[in-house]
Amino acid sequence: MSIEIRNIVKTFGDFKALNDLSLNVESGELIALLGPSGCGKTSLLRVIAGLETPDSGQILFHGEDTTDRHVRERQVGFVFQHYALFRHMTVFENVAFGLRVRPKSTRPSDAEIKRKVHELLNLVQLDWLADRYPAQLSGGQRQRIALARALAVEPKVLLLDEPFGALDTKVRKELRRWLRRLHDEINVTSVFVTHDQEEALEVADRVVVMNQGKIEQIGTPSQVYDTPASPFVYQFLGDVNLFHSRVHEGWAKVGSGQFAAEPGEHATVYVRPHEIDLSRVASLHAIEGTITHIRLLGATVRLEVEVADKEVVEVELTRERQLEGAWQVAETVYLVPRESKIITAA
Amino acid sequence: MKWKQSSVLPGFNLALGYSVLYLSLIVLLPLAALISKSMGLDWASFWAIVTEPRVVASYKVTFGASLIAALINLFVGLLIAWVLVRYSFPGKRFIDALVDLPFALPTAVAGIALATLYAPNGLLGAPLDRLGIKIAFTPAGIVLALTFITLPFVVRTVQPVLEDMEKELEEAASSLGATRWQIFYRVILPTIFPALLTGFTLAFARAIGEFGSVIFIAGNMPFKSEITPLMIISKLEQYDYLGASAIAVVMLVVSFALLLMINGLQWWMTRHRR
Repeated sequence: MSIEIRNIVKTFGDFKALNDLSLNVESGELIALLGPSGCGKTSLLRVIAGLETPDSGQILFHGEDTTDRHVRERQVGFVFQHYALFRHMTVFENVAFGLRVRPKSTRPSDAEIKRKVHELLNLVQLDWLADRYPAQLSGGQRQRIALARALAVEPKVLLLDEPFGALDTKVRKELRRWLRRLHDEINVTSVFVTHDQEEALEVADRVVVMNQGKIEQIGTPSQVYDTPASPFVYQFLGDVNLFHSRVHEGWAKVGSGQFAAEPGEHATVYVRPHEIDLSRVASLHAIEGTITHIRLLGATVRLEVEVADKEVVEVELTRERQLEGAWQVAETVYLVPRESKIITAA
Repeated sequence: MKWKQSSVLPGFNLALGYSVLYLSLIVLLPLAALISKSMGLDWASFWAIVTEPRVVASYKVTFGASLIAALINLFVGLLIAWVLVRYSFPGKRFIDALVDLPFALPTAVAGIALATLYAPNGLLGAPLDRLGIKIAFTPAGIVLALTFITLPFVVRTVQPVLEDMEKELEEAASSLGATRWQIFYRVILPTIFPALLTGFTLAFARAIGEFGSVIFIAGNMPFKSEITPLMIISKLEQYDYLGASAIAVVMLVVSFALLLMINGLQWWMTRHRR
């Protein structure tokens, strides 16, 4: 089911959590709301779920206005960061909850509930835990149970609020791949909130980058990563080196190098660490510097290069390129950005 | 089995030793003295004293009125705790402080105040009397006094648990289609039930032992509104120490059994949360 969000405004006291925000989610899509804490992504998710009421604006599910509909009637599955499992119920009863609270006329029979719950527990691969209590499970297991519970009511929309935020890195990586596979299997329209850019890029069909209650950019993972629409997106997605410079006759000077810039007064140059080549020969666009540190990070090598004005530039090379170049600390090098983004302002 | 657990804070031996010594001196020793005193009676005369019809009637009044008072406070206490946690309104802190008043007030003062208020010529007693309802000097008066005295227990045990309850549990239940009533009895009630039970037990235990407030409002009519502690006092006033200790032992055993039962039930209910 598609979700249409129209001009949503939500304030908490003086704080504008959502500032006239609009967004369309296509049916069957998996969307990530990505942004720093306080950017409004969780508020947006809660507004979609009906757990918060927007000050103004509309939420449409499949073209139908649901803004004033209670969360109970919206048929959304909501997964919380801290699981929110019912501690006094077994895993089975937790998953069965949404079926048992249905009015008598639409409530499935006990046998039907049993079949359905075991089917869902099999889907999340935890059928063997049916008789345990939440306190006896690991964090990753709890979150999978929470997901099974949310799916039990056959939601039209699945909403996940930082679903892997409380888990350790290894489990988090496993679970997000698993979530992606699960989504491909069941294909329910899903929106998940995260502050982890890697997670968003890996899992989502489209990423919505948010900042200060507004959307900065919407696009596929490669779109937002390769062609960031704003300085904020550039900085938020991945590491970036940033140079401030003045524009002079169409060129922005950075140290000894210069970059073609639009007319303007000030320019900011963004260069990602892995998009810089090192050279021992000076050239027009190269920035001169001295290597101060070389650190091995598994498959890549990170070099710190001090350029003019004591500014430090991070450069990331693959192991092979570092061996080929045989770069040494204290050596003078020329940095040649392969890609850069220059934003000029008056 | 290993008794001592390593911990950052030292002093396990000292702390445990002191706790045991303290409990022995303050709780166990007087109780042991009581039981040994009652041993001065042979079984037949012990049985005769504790099954005397007037005494048996007093058990019924004491345990019955205590149970009713504790049950009333189970509901009212939950309601007050709920209101104090979930809503904010002017004067909330004042009401919060008011809840503790029955703890602070000398029980005799409470008894006299209630008796004056509910006596047939009292401020509330007079209109009630005209309706044919008598509170003071009847078992209803006993329930009233005990309800007043034991009010804080349920409120104060449930309040922190309600405060700690994650709002997300209710939101999750709501998103799964549960109505408000279903959320209350399927999610909230099971979560606070152990605390409710603790509050109920404390209130009940306190009510069984209450003396000061009750005697002023009970009227103390034999077979009707005499409580067991009063039977003990009246035996003491007649220098019948053995008789008094025999009745006391019965109260002790029954109270202990009830508390044990309730604690067992509570342990059984919360066994999965550890």
